[in-house]
Amino acid sequence: MSEAEFDFAVFGATPLAHLLAGLLATAHGRKVMLVGEGQAGYRLIRGIDLSVAPMTRPESWAMLGHSVPEAARLISRIAGRSGLSRVDPIFFAEGQQDSEALSHMRHMALGFGIAAEPAAPSLLGEGRAGLVLRDAMRINRPALEHGLDRWLEQGSVLRLVPQSVSIGLDGPARVVADGVTYLARQAILADDEALMTWLPLKQWPTLLRRTGFASILTTPTRPLAASVMLELNSGVFLTQQAEGGIAGFGPGDLAHFSAHLQALLGRDRQVEQAGQTSFHGLMTLDGAPTFGRVAGVGADVVAGLGCAGAFVAPALARWLASAASPSEAAWFGGRLINRSGKAAPVGDYAPGLARLSA
Amino acid sequence: MRPQHNRLPAGVARGFSGSAIDRGRPLRFRLDGRIISGFAGDTVLSAALASGIDTLGLCRGHPIGLVPRAAPAISHASLANDPQRALPMARTAAQDGAEYVTLGVRRPGTLARLFQPGRTLGLLLDDAHALDRPWRSVAGSPGPSADLLVIGGGVAGLSAALAGARSGLSVVLAEASPYLGGNSGLFGTQDGEDSPDESMARLSAEVAANAAVTTLTATRVFAIRSGQVRVHQVEMLNGTAQGRVLDIAAPRIVIATGALERLPIFAGNRLPGVTGTLDAHELAVRYGVWSGQSALFATSSSPAYRLAMLASDAGIAVNRVLDARPHPASRFIQFSRAYGMVQSPGAMPGAVDIARAGGTLSVEIDGREGPSLSAERLLVCGGWQPDLTLWHVAGGASQWHHDHGRLEAVGTCEGIVLAGSAAGYFTRRGCIQSGADAIDQLLGRPRQAVDDPIIDPLHESADGPAGIAEPRPDGRPAYLDGGVGFLERPAPPRRRWHMPFHAQPKAGLLVLSEAPQPLAVCDVAAGVGLGLIPPAAAGVVAQERVALVPLAQVGDSATLPERAQPGVDDLPHYLQGRFGPDARIVRLVPSVQRIFEPGALIYRSSDDIHPLEAIGVVLRQSVNGTMGLVAAQAASAGRPVTIRDKGAALAHIRPSED
Repeated sequence: MSEAEFDFAVFGATPLAHLLAGLLATAHGRKVMLVGEGQAGYRLIRGIDLSVAPMTRPESWAMLGHSVPEAARLISRIAGRSGLSRVDPIFFAEGQQDSEALSHMRHMALGFGIAAEPAAPSLLGEGRAGLVLRDAMRINRPALEHGLDRWLEQGSVLRLVPQSVSIGLDGPARVVADGVTYLARQAILADDEALMTWLPLKQWPTLLRRTGFASILTTPTRPLAASVMLELNSGVFLTQQAEGGIAGFGPGDLAHFSAHLQALLGRDRQVEQAGQTSFHGLMTLDGAPTFGRVAGVGADVVAGLGCAGAFVAPALARWLASAASPSEAAWFGGRLINRSGKAAPVGDYAPGLARLSA
Repeated sequence: MRPQHNRLPAGVARGFSGSAIDRGRPLRFRLDGRIISGFAGDTVLSAALASGIDTLGLCRGHPIGLVPRAAPAISHASLANDPQRALPMARTAAQDGAEYVTLGVRRPGTLARLFQPGRTLGLLLDDAHALDRPWRSVAGSPGPSADLLVIGGGVAGLSAALAGARSGLSVVLAEASPYLGGNSGLFGTQDGEDSPDESMARLSAEVAANAAVTTLTATRVFAIRSGQVRVHQVEMLNGTAQGRVLDIAAPRIVIATGALERLPIFAGNRLPGVTGTLDAHELAVRYGVWSGQSALFATSSSPAYRLAMLASDAGIAVNRVLDARPHPASRFIQFSRAYGMVQSPGAMPGAVDIARAGGTLSVEIDGREGPSLSAERLLVCGGWQPDLTLWHVAGGASQWHHDHGRLEAVGTCEGIVLAGSAAGYFTRRGCIQSGADAIDQLLGRPRQAVDDPIIDPLHESADGPAGIAEPRPDGRPAYLDGGVGFLERPAPPRRRWHMPFHAQPKAGLLVLSEAPQPLAVCDVAAGVGLGLIPPAAAGVVAQERVALVPLAQVGDSATLPERAQPGVDDLPHYLQGRFGPDARIVRLVPSVQRIFEPGALIYRSSDDIHPLEAIGVVLRQSVNGTMGLVAAQAASAGRPVTIRDKGAALAHIRPSED
């Protein structure tokens, strides 16, 4: 059994995790191994990647505004024209509290130059307010994953299917694959599943809450008001697939999610479930994303970025490689996993969080 | 009236004369307006097939064959507007004088229908709901309850029902087809066994004679969870076939749904005239239906040779048997040589097309030059996949078995067990014994070893993987399975020029995750064969893409709990700290009366426009006016500020309590 040493071991199957691994290797010259295979070609969707997000903090919009063009260029280079598509997502809400949050998001989007219009009430149903964000970008995950394989190989990122993994309390990773042991000086747990699977339990951060999610695909039906929709109250995303089916995912157990999805789509839509699954994800207690080393010394974690995660990958890679700009360093530094939240609160609106806390 | 071109004569050899029909009782009915003739005992489907209707319709411009696994829902013409009264074509007994229509699809215009071939039902299968089964969305009425429910009336299910009854349980046996017995007939006999027909007849008779067993035929289970199933049953009421949806409660459930025949993947694998060997055998044995006078076989499983011999005995010219396995060995292969059949090991169809309108197929062999073969019918078998559909619906897990090349169940499900081929057994003896074993499992009794005597591969080759031909971009579509899904082999989009003003053809599917229909267990197995699904993920994909009808009632939770109205001074957590630790809630008095939206940003002056320069934000409107959150150093009373909301507006700050 030989041993090979790496700078980083990135764990995760999402576009964010893979872009991060590739950027650390190609843009920052680090030696990287990656544990986690993309599954967008055959699994139900569990996440979506948008260039906009339901955020209310101006510094987060500023971070996204700086990062999106760079990420879009990178994704186009990796996956070609099919890697990104233009969408006009609708965020919508019921009730005064969530509608107020929606209004905050609209003004923030307008302030950062994104065309954001109120959605016509006829599109959403009675008692709902909505926001259309024009000309956003969405990552086509299957196409990106296809291109990522080649790009990661060019970047000499070693991809491993592990037999065993251990992560030290001070951050290093030890991965055994095909009888060979691989060591990395620093582990990066870059998606929820990786975090829940590999993070040492004794280092579990109090900021993170494990939550049940469900994902359902319906048989084809008439088009939604927009190809991507997000209900803020529940955190349920709805997306219209190219073949006409509607994929929805969000917090909740499968039975309740199924009933809620049917209610959202309307009883007059005769659809059947073409697929369904439940899984676990993470939410931060204050709704803001989180980064940094657990307990200040352990593995790096990335959580709570929501739908915009992949578009923050270039800035995140710079921060992890100690090459971040001052504004980037301040943003990431303000959202460390061991933050107390009292000195400088960074809490943000997180779809569905209030419902889960209720 | 359509003559019964595809009905074999009454005296035909080897049991192909139709055990279910009574040729002394002819009948006639209408289907979509055309008169179909048949015999008492026929189903609507078997009578239509016997009368030469072998085409379902067009899918992306290509004809699709009508087969038992892909037949439309029908309805009595008088009830056509009520989809909840729909009936399955393959489970509905044909009735003299009835008038049926097919449901749920768009049809071509009247003129086009006038000129459409008589062999087609004329359905447009591009509509994703063309083969919907409307009863799946109907709530169930209370049905019978029992100590044990057995799903499937094949030899394993019959055996399980009898074992349950002998253990003192009340039993409900639900069988999807109109008859008990199952599909063992295709697979022949091994040493020491009685014939399949004898087994099926013996077990069926014992079940019929057992008062503890209630048998429901023409009853398909489509939803299941621990302790409960939902079924659709076709029954005769006052001489008329009617469907109903029932919920059956049973604390113990045996799933004995057998195995599904996989479809080899080649261009044109669902054209009319291309049929699975199991469907062909059942139609011939039960109803005496066989289309064409010549046949070609393409298989990776030995029972196809047995069917070839039975067909030959019935007077069908069997031109050739293509076997995807390079060196197949089987007693059936030995016997079929004596029939003079040409055998081509290591060969499979590469592309099939319709050579002549009316039926003849041309078959190109994959990877080989030379003239194409022709036959009126191509019978295909891509091996066997345990039917784990209901197991997956119930939450059961499965995993890909590399050596067997199929998904097999793993783990347990509360109160639900598998038996027979669905549980992975290969032989009739194993299936029968597994029925009793299933009852032992459910009752927590010590289990007896199940004897599943597999013949040495030296003498009896195992099934090979379902054949996969090279893609033919210009050929007919290749489908992954022969069911209702019409899932084409994913392929990258073709680059081609399009005429302006002409509608572009819809691009095919690129990845399985975007398929808007459920993935049948055979679709998943084909996905593994094509390299689209990693074998390690096949089980979880099959489980999450199964067609599930939720049985739990959670309607009261469909609406979200209402959150309290925020108070005038309530500060949402996402605004905490945004304008410093000492930010204050103030009242904003605009110089011109107007209303501001929550979230509108407050600036020191009209020159500031960037959100990072904002000194505050509008919270909400109250009876006192506009409330805002403003940084402490800017919150002095009377200070003028600019609020940006549909333009810039001047306002003055006032303390909130004024």
